[in-house]
Amino acid sequence: MDLNRLPNDKKLQLCKWYFKVGCLLLPFVWAVNSVWFFKEAFVKPQFEEQKQIKKYVILSGVGTLVWATALTTWAVAFQLQRVAWGATGDALSFIVPLGRA
Amino acid sequence: MGTKNFLYSVYLCFFITISFKVIRCERLREQIYSSIEGGAACFRRLNGTHQAGCSSSLNGEVGVVQMVYNISDAQWLVHNSTAGPYMAVVSTALYYDVIELLLQEPANIAGILLYDNATMSPEFFSQESKCPNEYSSDPHLSQCVKPGGIVWNEKGTGLLRRDIPYPIFFLPKTRIDDVSKIEDCYNRYNLDRDNQKGRPLCSLQLNSFMYAAVNSVVCMRRSASSVFLSSNKVCDPLGDYNVYYSLFPRAKETEATKKPVTLVTARIDSASLFDGIAPGAASSVVGMVAHIVTAATLSKMIPVTDSKLYDQNVLWTLFNGEAFDYIGSQRIAYDLSRGAWPPVAPLSPSDIRLHVELGQLGGSLSLFKSSASWPLYAFAPYSSTNATASKILEFLGEMSTYSSLNNITVSPKFTSNIPPSSLHSFRRILRNVTDSGSLLEILLVDHEENFSNLYYESALDDYEHIGYVYHNISISNEGVFISTDELLANGTMKETEAQVKIANLATTLAHTLYQQIAGKPYTGTVKASAHLVDEMLYCFLRSQACRLLLAADYASSPDEPPAERPLPLYVGVAAWASPPAVYAGHLLALLTGGHLRGNKSDCDNRADTGFSYYWLRGWNHSGVCIETTMNFSQAVSPAFIKSDYDLTSGEFSTWTESVWQAIWARVFVRASGAGARLAAVAGVLATAAAAVVTFWLQRDAALVFVDAPPSVAGIIRTVNC
Repeated sequence: MDLNRLPNDKKLQLCKWYFKVGCLLLPFVWAVNSVWFFKEAFVKPQFEEQKQIKKYVILSGVGTLVWATALTTWAVAFQLQRVAWGATGDALSFIVPLGRA
Repeated sequence: MGTKNFLYSVYLCFFITISFKVIRCERLREQIYSSIEGGAACFRRLNGTHQAGCSSSLNGEVGVVQMVYNISDAQWLVHNSTAGPYMAVVSTALYYDVIELLLQEPANIAGILLYDNATMSPEFFSQESKCPNEYSSDPHLSQCVKPGGIVWNEKGTGLLRRDIPYPIFFLPKTRIDDVSKIEDCYNRYNLDRDNQKGRPLCSLQLNSFMYAAVNSVVCMRRSASSVFLSSNKVCDPLGDYNVYYSLFPRAKETEATKKPVTLVTARIDSASLFDGIAPGAASSVVGMVAHIVTAATLSKMIPVTDSKLYDQNVLWTLFNGEAFDYIGSQRIAYDLSRGAWPPVAPLSPSDIRLHVELGQLGGSLSLFKSSASWPLYAFAPYSSTNATASKILEFLGEMSTYSSLNNITVSPKFTSNIPPSSLHSFRRILRNVTDSGSLLEILLVDHEENFSNLYYESALDDYEHIGYVYHNISISNEGVFISTDELLANGTMKETEAQVKIANLATTLAHTLYQQIAGKPYTGTVKASAHLVDEMLYCFLRSQACRLLLAADYASSPDEPPAERPLPLYVGVAAWASPPAVYAGHLLALLTGGHLRGNKSDCDNRADTGFSYYWLRGWNHSGVCIETTMNFSQAVSPAFIKSDYDLTSGEFSTWTESVWQAIWARVFVRASGAGARLAAVAGVLATAAAAVVTFWLQRDAALVFVDAPPSVAGIIRTVNC
């Protein structure tokens, strides 16, 4: 979809909708929202709905960052500590590696 | 028409070329790799705390072939070689000298191919530890690990219990052609040691990837399927079946009519580092054969119908899995302690008055091959607090009387250092009865201090090392064996032969047991037959396609005879009964049981009289109904049946065996690497050239393309989503 062809009120509606969907534990939707509407929020000349779009873009961006940090931390911790966690580590694994700890 | 024909021939040529190329491709693969068949791989076993044995990486380890002819070759390999990693090809004769070096510096080693050379047989060869089963021994009866104690298996390298960092394959004598193949390849490509780097080299690839890792706790946990996911099985507990048979039926005994028993035991299993190879001649077979022959002899001396005349019974038991922390005997001792063995009419430990174990026998047969005597040692646990019981002295006294009549000497050893045997299991698990002296124990072995068997639980513990030569004497249709005296008198056998000595031991023990249960000396003429021993040794040491096992097989078994090779006696995993236990049980049944008339359905429909009925092939292969008290009981460690057992506690055997998918080995000439480097460089150059050309075309598009459109973006813009 080309945002340029969309009227400003529809842009706000879309941005808001993406933010709300992201609230359902879907950080990738937030990530898309923050990138997609970045130009509308910060680069384009001012328009009426820009302030609200800016708000949703910032919220989505912060949410994405928090999620990304949390997921990265978990992935790193899991990879480094799975063996040390023993039974818990195995229980958390979808595929247990063969032939090693 | 001419044109058409021409086209057809062009097509034909095209297809012929293509199909020829496909065939050539397959041949090319075969030309590159030459597979090594018949190799046995070292595999991974795990206990409660460790992993032991070998594994390769998922696709197998690759290494440059290095024939190790002497210690300096091994030293060069470890310290000075340049084109590593290497596959060390070592003969069993050199194994003992180089193995520690190769294991201590594994950085340059990808694996070991061990081969047995008929012309250079080692004088000793054992991968078992110096103190076998030390962690399952009764600490009060074992001084092996203590400083100054006797080291039982002096030549043991302990590889069976160590975690080996690379794969090891074993090629038996019969596969010596494969070794020559590797040696030829080595001589062609690898001889110039100083200039190996960057040249095509003869290489070996060994694949024995093991699924399990860490220890039994981890692998059992990973094998158990969870609620959410069905998991891959990565290991199985070791285990099999124990065999037991009582002289008189016990199933119908009540508390009032219960007879005390003498437990006579031996072990079925042996082990080796390699899959499918566990000959166990002196480690287990001689003891087991002596056990079965003694049982057969005693059953001829005391017919089962005379049961009422005797107030004692003899319970013959063959343990399985003894090589791995006494799996079989631990289970029986544990079941006895909770009143669950035998499953029908369980015994209490106090019902057993004496336990006689036929331990490791046969190791000294080759030492005494020129003499008619065979010195044996009777170990009896002794401690200062518990004086030797008179019953043991009485038994040994009677035994020595009979043994002197049979060219055997039995020297008593009252000691607090008992060789590895099931006695340790009984001592540990049934401590209250063994300590109080109500269950007395004797172990018969043919070594005094260190093992006389220098090939203990190894791939080379075979018939040659006990000096066994098969006589191939036919058995009559009635299953009558020629007596030892007759064989000696007509010169068929000599007094110095293993068969005669084992038969003499069986006679001695059977007569002693007779006196024990009858209370009077034996005056009859029944003796163990060296002919029977000869046949039974042949079955377990040379070929399972033998007269005895054919007669003892189920009559319903397919007619095709089993393979003409000895059975591996490794206990295996507990999923199914392995042939050795089944064969040993059936032999006991055939040789001691009653042979009833009738057909198969009569046999199957026999009423429960305290006996079991087996429809076996019989001596003339027409089928025979055997009435026997022989039965099987599970030989799975208590560790795997107790629900809340802590596998790390060390109380019971916790051995498991890893699952694997494929084991193979192949030899090939590895390219020098120049071709691969050339391909990589060419690839990089081609990519760079393409990038430069693309960049130039982009920039000068107007020059190259006459009517180049101004921009492609417009086309996309017209699409409205």
